Amino acid sequence: MSKRAIKWLYQELPALVAKNILNQEAADRIKRYYGDVKSSSKIAVMLIIGGTLGALLIGLGIILLLAHNWEDLSRFTRTVLSIAPLVAGQGLVAWVLLKRPGSQAFTEGSATFLSLMVGASIALISQTYNIPGDTGTFILTWMLLIIPLTYIMNASLPAVIYLIGITAWSGTYWDDPAKAVLFWPLAAITIPHFIWALRREIYTLRSTMLSLVMVVCISFAASFSLGKTSPGSWVVIFPAIYATFYFLGWQKFNKITTNWQRPLRLIGAVGLFILAFQFTFRGSWQYLDRYAYGLKRNISGFGALPDHIITLAIITMVILLFYDNLKRKNWTIALFGAVPGLAILAYFLRESSIFLPVIIFNVYLLALSLSRIILGARNNSLASINSGMLMLAILIIARFFDSGINFILKGLVFIIVGIGFLVGNVILARRIGGAK
Amino acid sequence: MKNRLIVGLFLAVCLIQVVTPLSMIIKRENTLNNGQQFKFKTAPVDPYDAFRGRYVALRIENDYLPVADQKEFIKGQTVYALINVDDQGFAAFTAAVTQRPKGKPYIKAKVRYVSQGKVYLDLPIDRYYMEEKAAPAAERVYRQRSRRNKQDAYVIVKIKDGFAVIEGLYIAGQRIEDAVKQDIEK
Repeated sequence: MSKRAIKWLYQELPALVAKNILNQEAADRIKRYYGDVKSSSKIAVMLIIGGTLGALLIGLGIILLLAHNWEDLSRFTRTVLSIAPLVAGQGLVAWVLLKRPGSQAFTEGSATFLSLMVGASIALISQTYNIPGDTGTFILTWMLLIIPLTYIMNASLPAVIYLIGITAWSGTYWDDPAKAVLFWPLAAITIPHFIWALRREIYTLRSTMLSLVMVVCISFAASFSLGKTSPGSWVVIFPAIYATFYFLGWQKFNKITTNWQRPLRLIGAVGLFILAFQFTFRGSWQYLDRYAYGLKRNISGFGALPDHIITLAIITMVILLFYDNLKRKNWTIALFGAVPGLAILAYFLRESSIFLPVIIFNVYLLALSLSRIILGARNNSLASINSGMLMLAILIIARFFDSGINFILKGLVFIIVGIGFLVGNVILARRIGGAK
Repeated sequence: MKNRLIVGLFLAVCLIQVVTPLSMIIKRENTLNNGQQFKFKTAPVDPYDAFRGRYVALRIENDYLPVADQKEFIKGQTVYALINVDDQGFAAFTAAVTQRPKGKPYIKAKVRYVSQGKVYLDLPIDRYYMEEKAAPAAERVYRQRSRRNKQDAYVIVKIKDGFAVIEGLYIAGQRIEDAVKQDIEK
């Protein structure tokens, strides 16, 4: 049961006892059963946000102050001033570790401050000595220096900065996938922290933020680093990545409760639908082999190996997760996560006929949307019905625009789809109303 | 006990965080103090695009070298560019080799690209930082020079074991900071 529901229940309990619906003993038993709800009050969340923002502003302000009148200082003074903010940040973190170890606000704030000061120090030294503009090396050095803070302090913001940093780093090597592919082992460093954060219930803002950043960074890094050595392999890689997000979003260790707090599940599902929808068009299969996003030279042999290994690892993971859901008879979850499997099938079938992949994905989306509608009707879930109908509508409308049917018929299809929506919702609303 | 371990680990991380920038400083200070001094002419960078925020974009004149077999070189590869000094005291590159040379001055660089029997170098001398408020004046000084079609801008670089550190940017024999100050006083 969600924390919010338990809190509501506890609020109701005294009234229920007073009205003799429950006796005091039963109320106590309920309380024992659900245990204490530790509330992360709004004030605590505000403190964390405020503390972190404050740390950010102070850090940036220090950099600006230092950069002013920089010219007139001697090289020695500049060097000392470059290291000083770093040492100040370390001092602050040390104080938090010793005096305020339990405070989330102090921990995140001071860790953010130190993370920024590490970057500031290196940047200031780069200026003093006119160090050549190798952005990649600068970012990577900075990121490797701050990631230990995540584990020492149990702070998530250094991990967030780190993830964004290594994504930018792999972006600087977008034309050199042999280097960009190192994003994956680098990102793996954050996984233990990520799992730890997902398991904790007290503070969900943090796991939401971490998942969101993880999903966005992995999407970008995949486009920088993967699928460049064998053109067209993106049709398998991206569904595999989004299906992995989707499956992980359903895992039991994920204790996040409300919808917007579930970026893994939500973005995974939306990404899978967009990909599957794209695959219903002939064009995406027709030009597949010519497309290896802007990479001019061919990479093969040993240089292509890391790309292949990571790709295979992602595909293996998604197959295992898929199998796990089949085994546990989570049919609806497995159906949504079937896109990578179908993409693999289609990838090999496209050579015999370009129509096979197109047929596969049209049938699949039809089955997926119908299953959601049926499921929604059975469970009286408006959200499920509407998402199913939306997917069905998009599919139907796309197919009608593909074909050479005249405008009057196309217009009629729009009207029919619209009526379908309305009728479906009205029927369901009545049924839910009737059930009460 | 656990707390002590954490503090210990944190101290170790602090040490690494401080040692990293310090080692950057020490390597460069060592080169500036003990390196051999060279004067490189800078090519006229597009004067309207010389300033990227806080620094002057630099390009060394003739930053390419003819090679006998261009197949030996690929983009991104590390090469050693041998340096020779002409009668006017300016340094120029004479050859690109793949093995670290001995007894001769050289600069360690990367291959930017290879074209028509020439290797173009990606040199570690590509920017000179200046104060932001000096930028407009510096740009003016820079542009006047290129209008007169005089290529009299050069950088002084200290090199030790192939590692190069810029000491200063000069325009007509004057440090750019001083030229800018004069320009502002006018």
